Amino acid sequence: MSPTAKKRLYAVLKNGGLAIYSVFALFPLLWMVILTFKSDAEMLTTTFVFTPTLDNYKQVLFYTDYFRYIKDSVIVAGGAVLVSVLAGVPAAYAFARYEFKNKEKIAFQILSFKFAPEILVVLPLYMIYQKLGLYDSYLGLIWVYQLISMPLIIWVVRGYFEDISVEIEHAAQVDGYNWYQVFLKFLLPLIKPGLVSSALLCFIFAWNSFTFPLLLAGIKIEPITVAATKYLAQSTVHYGQMAVAATISALPSIIFAICIQKHLVRGLSFGAVKG
Amino acid sequence: MANLTIKNLFKRYDNVGKKTKTVNDYAVNDLCLTCNDGEFVALLGPSGCGKTTTLRMIAGLEEITKGDIYIGETRINDLHPKDRHIGLAFEDYAMYPPLTVYDNIAFNLRAKGVAKGEIDGRVRDIAKLMHCEELLDMMPVKLSGGQKQRVNIARAIVRRPEILLMDEPLSHLDGKMRQSMRVEIKRLHIEINCTSVYVTHDQLEAMSLADRIAIMDLGVLQQFGTPMEVYDDPVNEFVAAFIGEPPMNILETTVIKDENDFFFTFAESELRILVPARYYSKVRDGFRVKMGVRPMDLYVGGPESKGNPERVAVFENLGDERRIGVRVGEHMMMLITNDETRYRHGDIIRLEVNGEKTHLFDLETGDRIRSDR
Repeated sequence: MSPTAKKRLYAVLKNGGLAIYSVFALFPLLWMVILTFKSDAEMLTTTFVFTPTLDNYKQVLFYTDYFRYIKDSVIVAGGAVLVSVLAGVPAAYAFARYEFKNKEKIAFQILSFKFAPEILVVLPLYMIYQKLGLYDSYLGLIWVYQLISMPLIIWVVRGYFEDISVEIEHAAQVDGYNWYQVFLKFLLPLIKPGLVSSALLCFIFAWNSFTFPLLLAGIKIEPITVAATKYLAQSTVHYGQMAVAATISALPSIIFAICIQKHLVRGLSFGAVKG
Repeated sequence: MANLTIKNLFKRYDNVGKKTKTVNDYAVNDLCLTCNDGEFVALLGPSGCGKTTTLRMIAGLEEITKGDIYIGETRINDLHPKDRHIGLAFEDYAMYPPLTVYDNIAFNLRAKGVAKGEIDGRVRDIAKLMHCEELLDMMPVKLSGGQKQRVNIARAIVRRPEILLMDEPLSHLDGKMRQSMRVEIKRLHIEINCTSVYVTHDQLEAMSLADRIAIMDLGVLQQFGTPMEVYDDPVNEFVAAFIGEPPMNILETTVIKDENDFFFTFAESELRILVPARYYSKVRDGFRVKMGVRPMDLYVGGPESKGNPERVAVFENLGDERRIGVRVGEHMMMLITNDETRYRHGDIIRLEVNGEKTHLFDLETGDRIRSDR
């Protein structure tokens, strides 16, 4: 076989493989979207050929509390990321710059929050939350979401701070700037790629979280992941409505992921100052 | 311009994370130093000797544990770095990455609120002085190491400091660039004649640049003198070994008396070197001491030489000079010669020593044992 033919064959095989993989990966999404357009009657009797209807969308958007669920999701996921950034960036700075007792142990401890399966900690948390009055509150959920978002932000941003020469801060000091000016003017722009990508990733994780809100909230506050299951609990299972709820709630994650995918890999793997 | 006076300066780190192996845990221990107006002083020593800590205390980036630092008549211990009238050139260049070279240099002047027109004039003058005019519009990431160092120094001197501090400015440059920047720094010093403190671990840089060298080890100042003083007249074994490339041959020896003469003898070696008469009052039969002699002060004797016959263990032809290594017990004794003869491993040479240039060091303390004259 000539080299060009070999190359062509390789390209065909590669693209064929990718095509198969994309069908494999995207088929559940497609299936879900198809479900949203089916009426309950056709749900189990048809596959691809059916009479499309928008009834499910109308039902979900206008006759249920769908927007309240979305609002709850935005508040808890957004709040969690905000708290993580406000507390995590100074923590990352401290881990990068200062020497203190058991520094590495504490840093590892923070990372280890991500190790335990949520289901393991959620029952004790449930009882603690009941006692503290944090059960079914925004504050409670935002707090517990720190387990998801804080370690990631601290570890990514710490790496960025470590890559910035401490001499830049010293130079600015000699130049007569105080630390906050240095932070805003120089450090923040340098850590931005890491901060933005890790914060968006955290937002997605928090948005998708299911176990925590299922058990620690659910009466007054219902993030969309939990609310989507409601359509199961009624006498008939409204697959179509559930699919609509799931489809719309997956949109932010998908949109974010597409927007940041380029920066995500870069932001999480590259340091701040190169060359 | 002003002189810099350091009086009984101490630095102690209480940090738990850091492990200091210095005397009494002091990173800088009772340092006294004076740089005269316009003088170029090098702080020289191995890593961890306290030289950078000293520099950072002068700059105000490090707290002073005890002691005083004066610039001119002003005690600067409690002044903010920006009020000390110093310029600092950093080891890692420490440029502000989002700013152009021009803005990097102008940054300090802007912070001080210097008028716009004057800033421009001063930045361009300094850029001209440092030969980096063509770099002004570039971003720091695009610069090579040597260019970054030019800008770094330009940034330090644009503020017209009373004291220019340089923290190992050449240590990240490769050999050739290092040499040419060394010449640049020398030229710069001649042109602006600013009192300068230069931290380095490279004795060659210190020897070539400095008017006076302060050699430090374990936080303690060992010797402070002109390059020739520290080279010819080291106060102890540490200074003797640190200055000079290749380093001074320092070997443990036992003095024996043979009739009326004393000789240095070496373990597991036939080598005997006549003890110069000026040391006779210091030595006795069986006296154990360290003997030091620079490679330049050893030479190969001619055919009628009475020097010890020794076997060549290593021969390096460096073009300008040739280095011969002779095994003395466990040690390698190096000698440098300009003689064109090419030796081979195993050749026998007559080793001669310039007795006037030998130094003796105490076996325990490493202190120099001086002759009567």
